[in-house]
Amino acid sequence: MKTSTYLRRYWQLYFLLILPLAYFAIFKYGPMYGVQIAFKDFNFFQGINGSEWIGWDGFREVFQNQDFYRTLRNTLMLNILDLIVSFPAPLILAIMLYEVKALWFKKLSQTILYIPHFISWVIIGGIVYQVFGTQSGFINNLWVSMGFQPIPFLTDPNYWLITYLLTGVWQSAGWGTILYLAALTGINKELYEAAEVDGATRMRRIWHITLPGLRPTIITLLIINLGNMVTIGFERPYVIGNVAVQEYSDVLSTFVYRIGLESGQYTLATVVGLFQAVVGLIFVLGANFAAKKTTGEGIL
Amino acid sequence: MNKGVGKMKLVSGKTWFKSWSGMMLATVLAGTTVLAGCSSSSSEAGATTADGKSVLKVEVFDRGNSPAGSTISDNYMTKLVNERFGEPNKIDVQYVPIPRSEELQKLNVLMASGGDVPDIVFTYDQGTFNRYAQQGGLTDLTDLLNQYGPNLKKFLGEDTLSYGQIEGKQFAIPGKRSVLGKYASYIRQDWLDALKMPVPQTTDELYNTLKAFKEKDPGKVGNGLIPFGMTIAPAQYEPLLWSFVQQPLTDEQKYTLTQKLGSSDYPTLLPGFKDGLKFMNKLYNEGLISRDFGLDEDKKQLWQDVQNGKVGFYTEDAGELYFTYNGTYKNLQANVKNAKLTPADVFTNNEGKHAKPEYASNGLYIMIPKSSSKAVEAIKYLDWMASGKNLFDMQNGVEGENYTLKNGVPVAKEDASTEAQNRLYNYGDMAIIANGKVAGTEEQNNDAYIMQVPEEYQADMRKSVEISNTDTIAPVNFNKPIEAEAKYGSALQDKYSQLIVKATMAPTAQFNATYDALLKDYMSSGGQAILDERTKVFQEGGASK
Repeated sequence: MKTSTYLRRYWQLYFLLILPLAYFAIFKYGPMYGVQIAFKDFNFFQGINGSEWIGWDGFREVFQNQDFYRTLRNTLMLNILDLIVSFPAPLILAIMLYEVKALWFKKLSQTILYIPHFISWVIIGGIVYQVFGTQSGFINNLWVSMGFQPIPFLTDPNYWLITYLLTGVWQSAGWGTILYLAALTGINKELYEAAEVDGATRMRRIWHITLPGLRPTIITLLIINLGNMVTIGFERPYVIGNVAVQEYSDVLSTFVYRIGLESGQYTLATVVGLFQAVVGLIFVLGANFAAKKTTGEGIL
Repeated sequence: MNKGVGKMKLVSGKTWFKSWSGMMLATVLAGTTVLAGCSSSSSEAGATTADGKSVLKVEVFDRGNSPAGSTISDNYMTKLVNERFGEPNKIDVQYVPIPRSEELQKLNVLMASGGDVPDIVFTYDQGTFNRYAQQGGLTDLTDLLNQYGPNLKKFLGEDTLSYGQIEGKQFAIPGKRSVLGKYASYIRQDWLDALKMPVPQTTDELYNTLKAFKEKDPGKVGNGLIPFGMTIAPAQYEPLLWSFVQQPLTDEQKYTLTQKLGSSDYPTLLPGFKDGLKFMNKLYNEGLISRDFGLDEDKKQLWQDVQNGKVGFYTEDAGELYFTYNGTYKNLQANVKNAKLTPADVFTNNEGKHAKPEYASNGLYIMIPKSSSKAVEAIKYLDWMASGKNLFDMQNGVEGENYTLKNGVPVAKEDASTEAQNRLYNYGDMAIIANGKVAGTEEQNNDAYIMQVPEEYQADMRKSVEISNTDTIAPVNFNKPIEAEAKYGSALQDKYSQLIVKATMAPTAQFNATYDALLKDYMSSGGQAILDERTKVFQEGGASK
């Protein structure tokens, strides 16, 4: 088919594509114009063009700031721990749900597991406070009334880490199963039947059929997660964190919020943002390369 | 900027949904951008309404408390302004709401946006004002004020106006603060009576009282008992910490060792500050103050605990608990039979005085961005507010419906209708040139302030205000801004809270080590820069008042 005929026949599809393309052009590529702020002494009354170029001074200032290293370390630490704790959770949950035979129970538990995903972090923060506080939290009230010392779930940095991680699992694990469950429907049922006939136990079937079937999804998600190693959502550490555990809860996003939006130092905030973007890109490419080398599967 | 990476999920049901919702979102957003583009260009071109009025945009704090039937930009107060000021001057005054809790962040974004910024903006944060002025973002009001603001000048006075001057130029109109006292303490009288103890008069006596509260539990509270209610908000820790500052201070100490972050002076480097923290540490380790105080930034938990009768003693903004909008005392009395809170002045310093900080005589910094073409109208608006009975009416409402006059002082009517009460819900954020009620003389102002609370509490309120004005420590000011404070202020407030929380919660044996480590962090995050700059400016003779 000639290109012109092809285009004439399918022009509606290309037309539909304009909107998403425009979205990326306007909201993803357009703002990159602002990246130059990182190299300017940005004065917002003069605008981007009116501000003076300062070369790498902004980067020098950020890299000399000890809070930058502390927040970078925390970001990596929370993300790595999250990867270890929260990443396998939806996978395990999805396999368990998949094995459930009673349909009504499956549907019901799926719905219940999704719900936390739709609760805003601000509300979760309130719940966490009411559950884990040492003075007003009901777990500690129970604990203390049994004659023990209260456990500082929210104010001791190490306990706080556990609270932070488990809250994350609770909030996101149910929702995360969707991807895996979708992928599981793609596995040929005959494989299971054949395995059953051959006398494979349930664990064997999971190991030899389910997990390999999920491999592309797992790898894709892992690569995306690794790409996000240096970025971290703002709400969760900000809401669950507090002054007493700031040595752990202060992350790059809260750091940017503080120097950028609160102190008005946009140059430094942009430098940090640019740094995150570059490191994120390196991580994605690196993880993709590693995945291709070891398993032959990647996303790029 | 890099959020997009995380959103690019791959082949699955979720992707399908995401990309569709993304598309729809894009459509909607694209639509609104186009619309926004149109509207901003049209307002830019004319800045007038259809009937030929010039538009004046004024910032207003939105506290999310608008009564049914009105909004923060359309209510009794906005109508009053447009009727009395707008009509005769052919100006349409429009209000741009900014959420109170995100005031600074939103203001920074608005200022950066250039064209869309209101013609009148304000903040309490001195560092932010200094930064805007230094970056050349504000209109110089010196001449405009002389030309269009005679009433305003008279109302504010030279002293207050000087807070808005930088090197002789008037870059902000500071609001006038009529009540300078900040804090008072409150103690459960019924608990004291049960223990046959007097109201404590010194820090030592307070310590013994708190001990007795804890050991004897006179209120039969049990597990949840909090002898001393604490939070990480200034009203709870400042009276305690400032009372430990070693007096007398030399001028040099006062000016160089104080650190002004945001709008208040912080005693971080003053001699005695560490002893104050050590005392807090002791109280914490003996279980005398709220265990979770580090989580309570907005005092909500404290108020709840006080209302439930769990708290024996606390310090607070003077009289806060009596106001109807706060309701702490009223709820306490409803929840706990015979509960009684007595205002007290407890913390004593090394001179035996009840030293505590007070406010500077300015309130908001009212600014007119350089990009505004309505500076004249803006000054006229503020001048209108300062003239005649306008400010009085904005603060007090309608005579006979909202208040009655007693010796020239407005007394709030207890039985005012809901409609009448709703008129005044946002008067503080609308009557921006004054902070606190303005009735005339200083004494009348104080009376007006006191008479805002229900009559049954007015005697206690009077005592609270008296306490808050006793032995106060006035803030110190330089005649030029300290640049390091504008730069590091917000970050250092965080470090300061951290210092207080961590040092207080440290085990007794580790107090010194914890304190040293955190102070070091504080100093290297900007504290040292502020100290150096203050020392330099002081040596150059920059101390003003």
